[in-house]
Amino acid sequence: MATQSIWAQYSADKAYDEMIAAGGKSRDACASLSQYLQSLGMEAIKGRLSAAEAAIMEMGITFTVYSDEGNIDRAWPFDIIPRLIDFQEWKIVETGLKQRLKALNCFINDIYNEQQIIKDGLVPAELIASSSNFRQECLGMRPKFGSWANICGSDLVRAGDGKLYVLEDNLRVPSGVSYMIENRVITKRIFPELLENLNILPVDDYPTQLFEMLASLAPKPDDTPQIAVLTPGIYNSAYFEHAFLAQQMGAELVEGGDLLVKDDDCVYMRTIKGLEQVDVIYRRIDDLFLDPEVFHKDSVLGVKGLMRAWKAGNVALANAPGAGVADDKVVYAYVPEMIRYYLNEEPILPNVPTYLCSDPEQCAYVLAHLPELVVKPANESGGYGMLVGPHATQKEIRHFHKLIQDNPRNYIAQPTLALSTCPTLCGDKLEPRHIDLRPFILQGENSFVTAGGLTRVALRAGSLVVNSSQGGGSKDTWIINREQ
Amino acid sequence: MLSRSAERLYWMARYLERTENTARLISATMHLIYDLPYGVELGWRNLLNICGVEEAFYQRFKNPSEQNATRFLLADMNNPGSLLASLSFARENIRTSRELMPDEAWQQVNEMYLYANNNLDSLSNRRGRALFLQEIMAGCQRFTGFMAGAMSLSDSARFICIGRNLERADMTSRIMDFGTVLLAENRSDKMREYETMLWINVLKSLSAVLMYRKHVRNRIKGEDVLNYLLKNPDFPRAVLHCLEEITHCIKRLPHAVELYPHLEQLEQHLLAIDIQQASPQQLHQVLDGLQSQFDDLHRQIAATWFFNNHEA
Repeated sequence: MATQSIWAQYSADKAYDEMIAAGGKSRDACASLSQYLQSLGMEAIKGRLSAAEAAIMEMGITFTVYSDEGNIDRAWPFDIIPRLIDFQEWKIVETGLKQRLKALNCFINDIYNEQQIIKDGLVPAELIASSSNFRQECLGMRPKFGSWANICGSDLVRAGDGKLYVLEDNLRVPSGVSYMIENRVITKRIFPELLENLNILPVDDYPTQLFEMLASLAPKPDDTPQIAVLTPGIYNSAYFEHAFLAQQMGAELVEGGDLLVKDDDCVYMRTIKGLEQVDVIYRRIDDLFLDPEVFHKDSVLGVKGLMRAWKAGNVALANAPGAGVADDKVVYAYVPEMIRYYLNEEPILPNVPTYLCSDPEQCAYVLAHLPELVVKPANESGGYGMLVGPHATQKEIRHFHKLIQDNPRNYIAQPTLALSTCPTLCGDKLEPRHIDLRPFILQGENSFVTAGGLTRVALRAGSLVVNSSQGGGSKDTWIINREQ
Repeated sequence: MLSRSAERLYWMARYLERTENTARLISATMHLIYDLPYGVELGWRNLLNICGVEEAFYQRFKNPSEQNATRFLLADMNNPGSLLASLSFARENIRTSRELMPDEAWQQVNEMYLYANNNLDSLSNRRGRALFLQEIMAGCQRFTGFMAGAMSLSDSARFICIGRNLERADMTSRIMDFGTVLLAENRSDKMREYETMLWINVLKSLSAVLMYRKHVRNRIKGEDVLNYLLKNPDFPRAVLHCLEEITHCIKRLPHAVELYPHLEQLEQHLLAIDIQQASPQQLHQVLDGLQSQFDDLHRQIAATWFFNNHEA
């Protein structure tokens, strides 16, 4: 008897599916993968899942969850079925992402200096004045290469029309890149034969690229720069990633208490030899905790005098303080304009249509259509404080109605996109689950984009929420080159 | 390297060495007690005493039975010196020092920790316990192997080496305390009859039987065993060897000069101990004195490198 096809019951008719096209046929780039999974059969696929779970435990790939019982390390939720993107498509996305970060950096540099874009009337002055991530203290600063956001994680989604859209840009302390790399390590273990036979772009050069980028920022370029990763500590949800990146780069992993700024406005770390100067800090601490001398007075995570040292040009901070001003979801709406304004180019990657509640007309539309829209606060991360209209209760809708009326500047709304789906192992069968994609873009002296990125998957059927802090999982992402 | 990192690696090595030694000690005691006839005055109580946890034990248990003693020494998280507690501390220190060492080293300890936690039930029977201990001892050795095979002889490696050898020296001196029971003037005739076997087990707990035989080439005697464990410069678990390893590492660290007088004094003190002339009571005092000197050394190490605020 021929084995029942593992795809027989797979129905992906609710959204664009990354692997299976309408009519049940697999997309060209995915043909080998879907046939291979078919040849394995469901029992063998489940066997590979057990192997993956064991590997995750042994490798200690965890993320920390805050809960009532304190912080717990959880095993990284991983789905073994990879998500594929064709190299031809990816080349365009890569160019589009570089273009976008370049424009964003021009914007940040402009905002802290000439503010020409405001003078030219493209961006309203109130928008910046009211941005919670605008840092007065950074006015007049010009980091090397005009590059403020050195590490950016942009979230991409594929909508029903099959096109990729930029959903948001994370320019403060975007995380997830270590999981992108570890996902590949696990996949290599559980599907070695597949990776051997297909031409898939590697992802593990990221730490090298990150190191090069950070080194390019060093104030004294002739020396071997002392690079440190500044972590809030072991209880931070991304501590695994901080340690991973420091290890991969051979950099020091430091906490605030390990550093001090002396009267010479230089940053030093406390070592067994005494004090040693630090040149570049990849900081994974939010702006407001960086320096108690300037920001939150009671912060114990940061380093007293760090801003002094940065402004004196004695240390490079990545991302630069204040870079988060472009992380604002209201600013996001202006990015296509910025690309035209600063680069004199047409944007390669489209934004998701966005309504600004600060605009009375658009706000009226949003308030009248809440059950259809996704509403996001301008400056939250991690999927907190969102309203997903179609999945919300009457009570939640009323609550957001009031929130928006009270503080329209703080909200944007977007149509609820039918995020694309990807086959995901759910119990005994493959089912479509919604996904997004977070590529990582670096900009120092040069630009770099990861080959793919972190695909996050909403593990609950129908759910659109992919954040790991909200119960989402992740998948390995393959950029597959089918040219010989 | 960062002072904080140095301190974490040093403690990581101590915790891991303690994990291994606890496994060794219990394993050897198990073998010994199974071999011995009734009426020999050696029991689990001696082990609790050697580990320095007798008082804490009696706060929780009345009877130093095999079940109670092994549970307390192996799996009790309320006993900070238990194997499981030491292993958890070691894992936590490695988890937070991953940027300093090869991946395999972390994975090895993590796997061992998962293994220990998943197999606590097996500790209630002798067979399960023996397998458990064997796996832990092998796991600790695998870790050492990964480090030896893939870690540069950097300052990081030196702090690990210092931590390991300080803990090891301390443990060997504690195991030698068995001698104060085995050599006691008032020991029973039964005890005298089984003496050789007892000393072999002391050596076994340190994996030292073969090396001792090759070195001493004589019938096994208590004084020789003690001398070997204390003063052999070549056997990895002998106290003198541990001290020489520590000295070797310390001399390659910055600001080490401050520690030279203490290290020299410690070595001279060690070499001057005369096992033949010491009564069991005196031996106990000598070993106690040695342990407190190791404590002093630890304090000096901490003051020199871990709280490095010289210029702050």
